[in-house]
Amino acid sequence: MAAALEAIGLSKRFGGLQAANDVTLAVEQGEVRGLIGPNGAGKTTLVNLVTGVYQADSGDVKLAGESLIGLAMHEIARRGLVRSFQVTRLFGSLTVRENLRTAFLARRPADMDGEARIERMLDLTTLRALADTHAKKLSGGQRALLQMGCGFMVPGSCYVLDEPFSGINPVIKDAIIDMIVEVNRQAGATFLIVSHEMAIVRRLCPKVTVMMEGRVAAHGTLDEVARLPEVVAGYLGKALE
Amino acid sequence: MKRRGLLWAGVLATSFGAWGVSARAQDINVGLIVPLSAPGDATGGQLIRRGAELAVDMVNQQGGVGGKKLKLFVQDSQGTPQAGVAAYRRLVTEDKVVAVPGFFHSSVAIAVNEVAKEMGVPTISVQASASDITAKHYDIAFRTHAVDPVRVSTWMEFIKQKGYKKVSLVAETTDYGIGLTEETIAQNKSGKFGLDIQKVTFDNKATDFTPQLLQVKNFKPDLVINIGVGQPLDLIVDQATTIGLLPNTPMLISYDAPTRPQWWKLHEKDGSGIYFIAYYSPKSPLSDIGQAFAKAYRDKYKEDPVYGALNGFGAIEILAQAIKNGGGAEPKAIVKALESGTYKSWPTAPVTFPRADGVYWHNWVPPVLILHYTKPLQDWKEAEIVVQYSKK
Amino acid sequence: MFSTELIVQTFISGVMIGVLYALMALGITFIYSIMRMINWAMGEFYMIGSYLQYMLVALLLGPDLWWLAIPISATGVFALGIAVQWGLLKPIFRKPPETRDDYATVVTLALLLLFRSLATGIAGPNQFTPGSNLPVIMVGPMPLAGARVAAFVFALVALALFWGVLRYTWYGLALRAASQSRVGVQTAGIDVLGIDRMAFGIGVALAGLAGALLAPVFLVFPTDGLVTTVKGFEIVVIGGLGSIPGALIAGILLGLIESFGAAFIDSAYQNIYGFLLVLAILVLRPTGLFGERGREA
Repeated sequence: MAAALEAIGLSKRFGGLQAANDVTLAVEQGEVRGLIGPNGAGKTTLVNLVTGVYQADSGDVKLAGESLIGLAMHEIARRGLVRSFQVTRLFGSLTVRENLRTAFLARRPADMDGEARIERMLDLTTLRALADTHAKKLSGGQRALLQMGCGFMVPGSCYVLDEPFSGINPVIKDAIIDMIVEVNRQAGATFLIVSHEMAIVRRLCPKVTVMMEGRVAAHGTLDEVARLPEVVAGYLGKALE
Repeated sequence: MKRRGLLWAGVLATSFGAWGVSARAQDINVGLIVPLSAPGDATGGQLIRRGAELAVDMVNQQGGVGGKKLKLFVQDSQGTPQAGVAAYRRLVTEDKVVAVPGFFHSSVAIAVNEVAKEMGVPTISVQASASDITAKHYDIAFRTHAVDPVRVSTWMEFIKQKGYKKVSLVAETTDYGIGLTEETIAQNKSGKFGLDIQKVTFDNKATDFTPQLLQVKNFKPDLVINIGVGQPLDLIVDQATTIGLLPNTPMLISYDAPTRPQWWKLHEKDGSGIYFIAYYSPKSPLSDIGQAFAKAYRDKYKEDPVYGALNGFGAIEILAQAIKNGGGAEPKAIVKALESGTYKSWPTAPVTFPRADGVYWHNWVPPVLILHYTKPLQDWKEAEIVVQYSKK
Repeated sequence: MFSTELIVQTFISGVMIGVLYALMALGITFIYSIMRMINWAMGEFYMIGSYLQYMLVALLLGPDLWWLAIPISATGVFALGIAVQWGLLKPIFRKPPETRDDYATVVTLALLLLFRSLATGIAGPNQFTPGSNLPVIMVGPMPLAGARVAAFVFALVALALFWGVLRYTWYGLALRAASQSRVGVQTAGIDVLGIDRMAFGIGVALAGLAGALLAPVFLVFPTDGLVTTVKGFEIVVIGGLGSIPGALIAGILLGLIESFGAAFIDSAYQNIYGFLLVLAILVLRPTGLFGERGREA
């Protein structure tokens, strides 16, 4: 069976910087994969290449065996590849409820099913009390929850999350972890999660891929890759004396 | 791809501009500055242009001037002094014209004459009436139109005849509007008419005159004089009708816009009963060249010529005669010839441009009439003549 | 001097013209909110709407069917807007945002010149009117041309419809979302370039609608769009670029200020009062009464 999400030899250059260099990885159906690496390793670049924000110079991206190369951002989203942003992108002047409702813009829900799902998501995100508040008035943590909620409103097949845990308090982190686990178990959705929070990566991701300087440097369980000298060096920035 | 779109748009946009084409050496180049777009009175400009173009054709058909053909270069003043001055400069420096007739708006003529004074190519104002156009006594300034004092004297005569006592002047804040307002107030005093005059002004780019017209209605005048030009003139007539000022209160329009075919198209319902200034009536006889022109105009445009066209024709005719008899197609020679000669234009009376006093310097004044539409869709030639005023 | 009757008349006059100004400004601010570009040729779309209305009424339908011609004229301008957006403007939205504003300015200015010259070239410099058989209507103590009242009522209906669509329909939600986050709406699966096209079409159709409604009131001639350009941008500055309630409130405010200024101070400076308000806003509250402070891309 084809991998849920595949990158095959993806490359992207920005002026003098080779941000992605022949990146190849495959995430299996139902897997929760971690994507780690030091700052500037090209993780966000890879996410942007996969989700259509950037057009790759060369290489291929496949979602359940179908190529996504050349497709616009919204077409990729419609195919079921959902992404979240490190700096939360929400509709500030829409209410929390309306933000959740935007998930249905591309695919209208069948009758009342949509409103019911919004109500359930309000509970899942613990944001019910703020349902009619404008999104721009939410705190950082609440915004992260709402972004997750919006992402999970769409019955996507594959979720690419870019630093979903950065700068949020532990209680909300737990809530988000619960949501990811729930969706993974219930719908069998695939996840690719970019994160620096090693404790969470350890908890959520059986396998991780390490990127460094635009390349895939290693692949395996977190413990396995943490022992590799080049990974250690990459994180520390210089060789140990 | 995008550049092509830009270029395409730019070319098309500018292609409706001036048709400056270089002339042959045997041609005599003559300019024409008239308003062809807003905020100028574009219809007025177009009519003058028709007369001038037809005159050039007629002169050339009869062999031209001393064997050379006349070539007309038309520029749009847009009714603004800046555009008019730019047009004059272009005509003199690039098209090398020997004279520039035209001019409908007084503010344009006044501004251009300041520049013409330096550059030396004479101007002939055919429908601009402010005093300063000739009152400054510039050598290059000529006019074949009624001056404002004569226009005002005509309507003072009208007011006296009708026994009006309270008069509202609704004027645009241009040289034309302000000039006429001040002249009216001055003549009221000097002629001891004893009128109660209300002065209401407006910006000629405005579209809503209800505040001003409400003030007029409150004043309860015997007569309203509409001193607007172009769109404001029409809007004032419509809006005055809406608030009930017209048709009960008589309105006089300060120039001959109602003689144009467009008048009834715009004012089918509220145009009857209007009084207006005119400079030509079919009852005044035409000279032989005037008649020939009228026939050619009717053949081409399927309507009778109006004053603007006649004067546009007249200016070109006069210039052709001045060049032929006066010693050549050179600006200085033309100026001398115009001052000293006697010319034939569309009316039977001869035309001269003496160095007279005051505003009558280099000025020929046609008789001024006040006409009255007595029923809707009336042909202007059948309108009632209420006043005919000639400068003594 | 300051009779209550004059005050009431001035107030009614100001509100009525204000709503129509708001309609003109709404298109500018709506297009900006979605596409983040200023359409300088807005007045020319108003002008095209006025010419379409004149031609439909004078040549086909007659003045009694003016109400049928209005939506047809507005739709015609809408179709033209879609064509213009697709042909001339869409290409620039594939470029990086830094050059976008300059390019949009150049293109829309060129359109302004092109449309104006075409109108003068094709239809001539004369002014036209589609004529109106609507009777003079007394609104309180004030006699008003029937066509002007009709324009006011129609404009209110259009504004209400517009607001209703934005607030209560799926498409309205997509438009509102697109105005807040272009990237966000794409990740929700909406083709933002398609939204751009519709927004431009709707925006210019609003101006075209104003032109069609006001054709019998302000007459039809090649530069009749000037009032839209001048007032429209004044209102956008006063109300705040990108704010729809701002456009409506600022429009009515401008109408009232001009009306009262002309009636009670000096009618010669009618157009100046609006400029004074613009200056005051720029000094005191530069983003406009309801202007947004910033926006996430």
